[in-house]
Amino acid sequence: MKCVRCLKDTAGLLTKAPDGSGAWEMYACSRCNFTWRNTEEDDVIKPELREKSFQFTQEPEDLQILVPIPALRK
Amino acid sequence: MFRDLREFLAKLEENGQLVRIKDSIYPEPTIREIGRAATDLPNGPAVIMDNIKGMKDMKVALNVHGSWANIALMMGLDKNTTVQDQFFNFLEAWDKYPGEIKNIDSAKAPCHEVIVKDNINLFEHIPLFRINKWDAACFLSKACVITKDPDEPDNFDTQNVGTYRMQVIGKDQICIQALGFHDIARHITHAEEQNKPLPIAIALGNDPVLTFMASTPVNYDLSEYKYAAAINGIPMELTKALTCNLDIPANAEFVIEGEVQPRVRVPEGPFGEFPGTYSGMRLQSVIKVKSISYRKNPIFENLFMGRPWTEIDYLMGLNTCVPLYKQLKETMPEVHSVNAMYQHGLTTIVSTRNRFGGYAKSVAFRVASTPHGISYCKNIILVDEDVDPFNLEQVMWSLSTRVRAEKDVIVIQNTPGMPLDATSYPAGMGNKFIVDATMPTAPDGLLRDSKLIDNPNSKPFEKVIADLQKAALGK
Ligand SMILES: [Zn+2]
Repeated sequence: MKCVRCLKDTAGLLTKAPDGSGAWEMYACSRCNFTWRNTEEDDVIKPELREKSFQFTQEPEDLQILVPIPALRK
Repeated sequence: MFRDLREFLAKLEENGQLVRIKDSIYPEPTIREIGRAATDLPNGPAVIMDNIKGMKDMKVALNVHGSWANIALMMGLDKNTTVQDQFFNFLEAWDKYPGEIKNIDSAKAPCHEVIVKDNINLFEHIPLFRINKWDAACFLSKACVITKDPDEPDNFDTQNVGTYRMQVIGKDQICIQALGFHDIARHITHAEEQNKPLPIAIALGNDPVLTFMASTPVNYDLSEYKYAAAINGIPMELTKALTCNLDIPANAEFVIEGEVQPRVRVPEGPFGEFPGTYSGMRLQSVIKVKSISYRKNPIFENLFMGRPWTEIDYLMGLNTCVPLYKQLKETMPEVHSVNAMYQHGLTTIVSTRNRFGGYAKSVAFRVASTPHGISYCKNIILVDEDVDPFNLEQVMWSLSTRVRAEKDVIVIQNTPGMPLDATSYPAGMGNKFIVDATMPTAPDGLLRDSKLIDNPNSKPFEKVIADLQKAALGK
């Protein structure tokens, strides 16, 4: 299914309400790591209503790395 | 004083500092609304929610450290203790380092009452929720994260216990934000140099002092566990992790164990952070979960963080003041107390004796050259030793009556700055703004009317009047 943040077809069901009540389902995107519940506010889970600045339009590998991967020890 | 979170919650409840919300609620947005409300109230209480839709029999606790009343109770003080007195109490306890460690057999440790090693799904056991609206996922914001330096696997004291934000990205996968200067970054780097996974334990719902110490900057080779024991005044009870050689708090509500995957980085963030703004997306390390264990009827304690002030400001307030105070006091015994509670000390108020004309300004220069102050302390206010720097009415009185702008206000340009501070430009550069609000002393020119009104001996009557007030309410 389509991720509500990066809009790529890389999302899927993550889990359902653990008590079996069917109260909600939760989805996750394997590309940008966004997760959401189907019971959240519309402007969080509907792509067209989300604030543009919180959408993910870059390529994941272009993000900054805060702790660099060090050289391997010899 | 408190062996675990439960004992502290009982203490809070006894003192009217814990409430329970029984209404049926959705995790979003209601949990964050409750977290914000609890911290905004005067003497805001801790809140337990145990009727969350889809999460039958699961409990969330918020705002456990979210008021000065709660912090005072954690220190074993009366809940109305002034912040300055809490500061002095904390200083005294700090000097009792190291406290005692007590090892509990793993099979008897409460945190191992329920153990899950197969088909791990964090969401089946923990009532996770999105803290702020634009956060990328559910975050653990109040965990004690335990790692060891893989180069010193037997060194207890360099075993690190810290609080780092963690984003749950899958049933058994969690991102962790390590910044270059964090102790844990050193451990990750040493493991990655050898291409080895780094064992990690995440303890949720701990005794309140351990949580407090996990967010205190202590020297790399001093143990947070021994500090927690010293300040708590009872031995710290530890047990062995199930999957590795880490020492974990035996009475934690939940312990998640896993490994930081070597040489892997994945997208993390945004997350609403302590300056009251969202921090953006970065590539961060990722943990693969190997086990989750918990007590029967576990309580998931998490932290709501919003525009200041919220719980994190109470949690980090005093523990920013104490290290700074210690460093000043080494060379300047005139320093009386330090209030560095504003965004990790970006604004810092120091009360000091102005030993001779201009001396207080020298104290400011010292603040600006302490290890913490070099980049953090940008607005530095000096007040006299009889002014309580935690009492902002008194601080404003000093500014109003003792500052001569042409002599007492200094800006030093182009100094180090704190990169997360939005005013730092370029990131990492800043200015020092010093306001000397102490009374001028010789050989400086003295103020014209400087004879202070004497304080009468009023303390005994405070109790008399307070008792009368209580009695009046009782009628
Ligand atoms: Zn996505």
